[in-house]
Amino acid sequence: MIEMQDVWKEYGNGVTALSGISVRIPQGTFVYVVGPSGAGKSTFIKLMYRQERPTKGHIFVGGFNIERLRERQIPIMRRHVGVVFQDYKLLQQLTVAENIAFALEVIEVSRKTIQKRVNEVLELVGIEDKRNMIPRELSGGEQQRVAIARALVNKPKVVVADEPTGNLDPDNSWSILKLLERVNDRGTTIVMATHNRELVNASKKRVIAIENGRISRDEERGDYGYED
Amino acid sequence: MKSAGITGMKIRTIGRHGREGFKNLFRNGWMTFAAISAVAVTLLILGASLVLSVNIQAMSLNIESQLQFNAYVSDHVPAKELPVIERQLHVIKGIRSVTFVSKAAALKRMKQILQSNSDLINGLGNPLPNEFVLQVTNPRDISKIATAVERIHGIDKVQYGASVVPKLLSVMTMVRDTAIIFIAGLVIMGMFLISNTVKITIFTRRREIEIMKLVGATDGFIRGPFFVEGTLMGIVGALIPSVLLYAGYQWVRKTVALFPPFTLLPTAYVMDRVVFVLLACGLFIGVWGSVVSMRKFLRV
Repeated sequence: MIEMQDVWKEYGNGVTALSGISVRIPQGTFVYVVGPSGAGKSTFIKLMYRQERPTKGHIFVGGFNIERLRERQIPIMRRHVGVVFQDYKLLQQLTVAENIAFALEVIEVSRKTIQKRVNEVLELVGIEDKRNMIPRELSGGEQQRVAIARALVNKPKVVVADEPTGNLDPDNSWSILKLLERVNDRGTTIVMATHNRELVNASKKRVIAIENGRISRDEERGDYGYED
Repeated sequence: MKSAGITGMKIRTIGRHGREGFKNLFRNGWMTFAAISAVAVTLLILGASLVLSVNIQAMSLNIESQLQFNAYVSDHVPAKELPVIERQLHVIKGIRSVTFVSKAAALKRMKQILQSNSDLINGLGNPLPNEFVLQVTNPRDISKIATAVERIHGIDKVQYGASVVPKLLSVMTMVRDTAIIFIAGLVIMGMFLISNTVKITIFTRRREIEIMKLVGATDGFIRGPFFVEGTLMGIVGALIPSVLLYAGYQWVRKTVALFPPFTLLPTAYVMDRVVFVLLACGLFIGVWGSVVSMRKFLRV
């Protein structure tokens, strides 16, 4: 479960990104976060994996009190939150399997478990045949699948995706969405910030719209609702 | 800075840090070369001055232990006044011991030295004066004390052969002081270069670090390879001057041995200490250099 109580975020340069956000996202839901660029969407997402700290307010993600988190607990928290980005953030010199295994290696999981988990997520995202290729040899959609596999390999309760389809054509965007829905079906909370009107309108999920640092709209089975 | 994860680290992880840190050395070959050279030059100078000062110290200790001088009593002084002079000697600060050697004892000693040639002085009666053998506490004060002793009524002459000692000591102090300033500057430069090298490695790998942080690697884990990199640079930077100094010292020692009475301390004795100091300094420079450069980068 994710919960924010009156969360404010002001950056050092005086820009107020969020002014009083309160929201509850129960475990296992799929939420779209929409809104114009610069409205605070990214900040909202970044707060969830403690890339940014709130200036004020409380944030709970999967049992962690984010704003109270001590420096040394941040890594522990991040093992429970998977993150996916528009630019995939894959390591170019590593193969697909190595990129996914990397997430487990750095948290010192045994080699045997790593192998098992990597095979599982490769199968889940459907790129087992590409396991020994390097990111450059893959299409954008395939690279994003690798990134999602890496986000899932820790079995996180929450997956936070910031514009995961931002660089993809409609077909690939759809298949990434289908993949995230499948992950959601297994009980993982998905928070996905997006500008993709078609995806949002077609799938009828909870939509949180952020404008000028506030939640302007929060609807179950909502629409994208912007004309951009 | 936190070091979560360092404790309880698995052997496999330590191996990984070692491999990664080793690879890092070659990823920025030229920077590594520059950093190691700086450390090596620094420690070479440090080591050389250590070798020098250890030897000078041993030499001066050797001279110091013989730091005694003789005060000859004028023949006009009657025997009953000798205790008065002795009391006056005891009053002078810096004198550790006063031993009286009578005319007769001095003659006996002289005859012993001359042995079979002792009849050379037989016809002369006893030409030797009464004397006091004085030992001083601090060799630096020797000339001052000698002057004071000379002023005592009844003392004819003062003789000491170790007048080179104070000069030697003051030269040594000067050499040491200049070396300390010089070395301090070089140590800072070495740290700076190592820290820059590690920074460049971190910079070229910031994407990797970012991903590591996002998937929940601890700072301690991320720091591992960079720590190894800095430490390796420090150790290699210490080993090079150690080998050079070892070879150099052995050569110099052999050469010096041809000119007695000068002898240098045994190679093993000196180098054991010097190599230890160099390695400790190298480690310190390397560890400090890498830790400092990482501090800023990990605050993500």
